[in-house]
Amino acid sequence: MSSLKIENLVCGYDSRKPVIKDISFSVDDGQFVGIVGPNGAGKTTLLRAVVGLLKVQHGSIAISNHKIEHLDRRELARRIAFVPQLMEPVDGFSVEDLVMLGRTPYLERFSFEQNDDYDAVKWAIDELKISELKDRQTTELSGGEFQRVAIARALAQEPKVMLLDEPTAHLDIRYQVNICKLLRKLRSHRSIVATFHDLNLASRFCSRLVLMKAGELIAEGSPDEVVTPENIWKAYRIKVSVKKNPTTQKARYVLLP
Amino acid sequence: MAKKINKKTGFAVFIILFAVVLAVMFVSLFLGSVMISPAELFKSEILWQIRLPRVSLAALLGLMLAISGVILQGILRNPLADPYVLGISAGGAIGAAVALAAGAQVVILGMSSVPVMAFVTSLAAVFIVYKLAQVAGKTSPETLILAGVALSAFCAAILSLIIILTGNLQSIYFWLLGSLSSATWSNVLTVIPYAVFGSAVAYFFSKELNALLLGEEMAQTLGVDVERIRLFLIGTASLMTAAAVSVSGLIGFVGLIIPHFIRLLVGPNHRYLIPISALSGMLLMVAADTIARTVLSPTEIPIGIIMSLVGAPFFLYLLRRRRVEGK
Repeated sequence: MSSLKIENLVCGYDSRKPVIKDISFSVDDGQFVGIVGPNGAGKTTLLRAVVGLLKVQHGSIAISNHKIEHLDRRELARRIAFVPQLMEPVDGFSVEDLVMLGRTPYLERFSFEQNDDYDAVKWAIDELKISELKDRQTTELSGGEFQRVAIARALAQEPKVMLLDEPTAHLDIRYQVNICKLLRKLRSHRSIVATFHDLNLASRFCSRLVLMKAGELIAEGSPDEVVTPENIWKAYRIKVSVKKNPTTQKARYVLLP
Repeated sequence: MAKKINKKTGFAVFIILFAVVLAVMFVSLFLGSVMISPAELFKSEILWQIRLPRVSLAALLGLMLAISGVILQGILRNPLADPYVLGISAGGAIGAAVALAAGAQVVILGMSSVPVMAFVTSLAAVFIVYKLAQVAGKTSPETLILAGVALSAFCAAILSLIIILTGNLQSIYFWLLGSLSSATWSNVLTVIPYAVFGSAVAYFFSKELNALLLGEEMAQTLGVDVERIRLFLIGTASLMTAAAVSVSGLIGFVGLIIPHFIRLLVGPNHRYLIPISALSGMLLMVAADTIARTVLSPTEIPIGIIMSLVGAPFFLYLLRRRRVEGK
């Protein structure tokens, strides 16, 4: 079943100059989809449109067969969660407090957090393996630690679709791999869509890739189908050869001299 | 620092603080320029017609100004925001002075015209400051403060002019320095509805104010309609400030100091920040007013002077700390 379906999407910040020009693809439950493409391809803009921060100018976006314009903000927030590229820690908030903010779309007015909310927070913290950080101040964490907290916050929203904007940017390779492994595990019962700069990392961990350039779709499919010398030439104008990683059997590009 | 506050400790702190506020209010009834024995005091006009309304008014103003500060700091995501600093108070004072000059007996929709007029002009002031500080859709904390300070000075000048033209020089003193010396029961009754409405609204939106700690866009992805609540909450803060100004003149910095200290003590969760700041604001104002009317007795110091003597250096300290931290 498709949990996210984008059809003929056109959107941007100026109606005369759309950033996303007619993009269609769908994401099934349980998939981890990587969106790749050169700078300015519109990857972040696409995520912002899906999460409702940007108006759809043309076409449609549907989450579990509900068009997003028919859902109110709270209903949308219960189905879709967003992890931005840079999230600020909150001075005076512990990790647990910050993850609890993910429960905002479920909280009732005047009432305090219920057991459901504490359960969801505990579950999200366990999934991200950060229970030992639970009581630490968010301002004291390293970049890699905080990124896991940011993802736990999104997970506490219990979304059907989780969107992440460059979740591995600014992280060392250990955390890049760590975050990708966690995301790959989290995709069961929901779908994960993340933008990446590192094609080889995306190819290694994603179940499918969407390659974009200048607001248009260049290719989509399994990493093997997308990571080809022709596609990479079309998107980035660089010459590469593509080899299979001998141990993982995943496609990876190598720059040609 | 006791940042790990939860439902149980939060409620306990609230109850204890509430008891302290009542105790301080009670004690302050017996302090004043006229010292008489408690037994006699209970029979005297001084207690029932002068001190009790005054102490009650101080408490209500403290509550309203502190909650306004919490709301403004939260919704503008600016730790230096405060109704006085942003020019909301000075703007409101103009409306209140005009309404008083025109005759305070005028009643609009069953309410005294003074706070209503003050609300209109305070809203105009905050709107002007907000628009002036907006550069390419963004407002920096420093620009917002500068715009507020400039507008405050302008409003103070207009206010003085109005008062001079209407020929009551004595009341400039009241308006610009802020004073509770003429507090009456009718003042108390005037502000009660605003205090109740404002506190309820602030608490009603505490969930949204918490989500805003992550930034406006993140709050939107958590289901918060930021555009709509921003307008509504700034309006509510202005309404409370206007009501306060119309009975006491300009009293600054309560909305700045209280939320800062309480945030250090209980953390930034608005579920606790709002009620505990409200009680602390009451405590601060009752204490400051008691000092105002006793320390140089029989001369009275306007409470606005005391608050500015404490608040302005604190404001400078915060400004300086932000610079040092490079935020």
